[in-house]
Amino acid sequence: MEKEQIIAKLKTIVKPFVKDEQAFENLNDNTDFIKDLKINSANLVDIVLDIEEIFEIEIDNEAMERMLNVKTAISIIEKQLAEKQ
Amino acid sequence: MIGNDIIDLAAARIESNWKRKGYLQKLYSEAEQLLITNAADPEIMLWCLWSMKESAYKIYNRQTKIRSYMPLRLNCYDLQVSGNLILAKVFCQGNIYFTKTIIHTDYIHTTAAVSEGVIDSLNIGLYTDVDSGWRLNPVSKDKYGHPYLIDKNTFEKLPVSISHHGRFCSYIST
Repeated sequence: MEKEQIIAKLKTIVKPFVKDEQAFENLNDNTDFIKDLKINSANLVDIVLDIEEIFEIEIDNEAMERMLNVKTAISIIEKQLAEKQ
Repeated sequence: MIGNDIIDLAAARIESNWKRKGYLQKLYSEAEQLLITNAADPEIMLWCLWSMKESAYKIYNRQTKIRSYMPLRLNCYDLQVSGNLILAKVFCQGNIYFTKTIIHTDYIHTTAAVSEGVIDSLNIGLYTDVDSGWRLNPVSKDKYGHPYLIDKNTFEKLPVSISHHGRFCSYIST
């Protein structure tokens, strides 16, 4: 899967939980889920579970701990997708 | 060091589906899951434990400057429930944090401190209007994003902990 496809899917997953639409429009690698998008930390787990479902991958606890921004989320997804093949 | 967390129960019911597959396992230890499933009101217990973890994490983050989404490394234990009040401890990476949780019809509010004595002497401001909360508590943030107030007399930086969710926001200071 190309990085652009991953970002597009990730944006669809994240959108329902975003509290700062402006930051969402400007989403880039450095966008922080909590600091920038103002996502409630209780909803970060929903994003993790949605990523698992939609990409059909598993995100372990160690990976979840780092799941704070777009860049890390993409690298975790890419790594898990590669391992699946 | 102090931390606090407020949960608007009406907002939580809209924003979170805690019954979804895998949800509990990602956030709560087996012991905590038992506390939830055995509670008279599992939903209330779930949010009580979450606010304990969040308020303890705020102290941990302030102490270590480490940011991490690590609910399973924050373990709630030694819960003492009396009516709408829960005293508990949270263990995290070798540290113990003391928490006090108030269960209200509309919200759950937890304060956390590094020592038991501090918990009862905290100044707590609770607002149902986020704007007036901000106006009455003009906080600044340091480079790590940690909020503080300036003491009017001594100009000393006083660390505060802020939380807002749904209709509510809370400010605590020592």
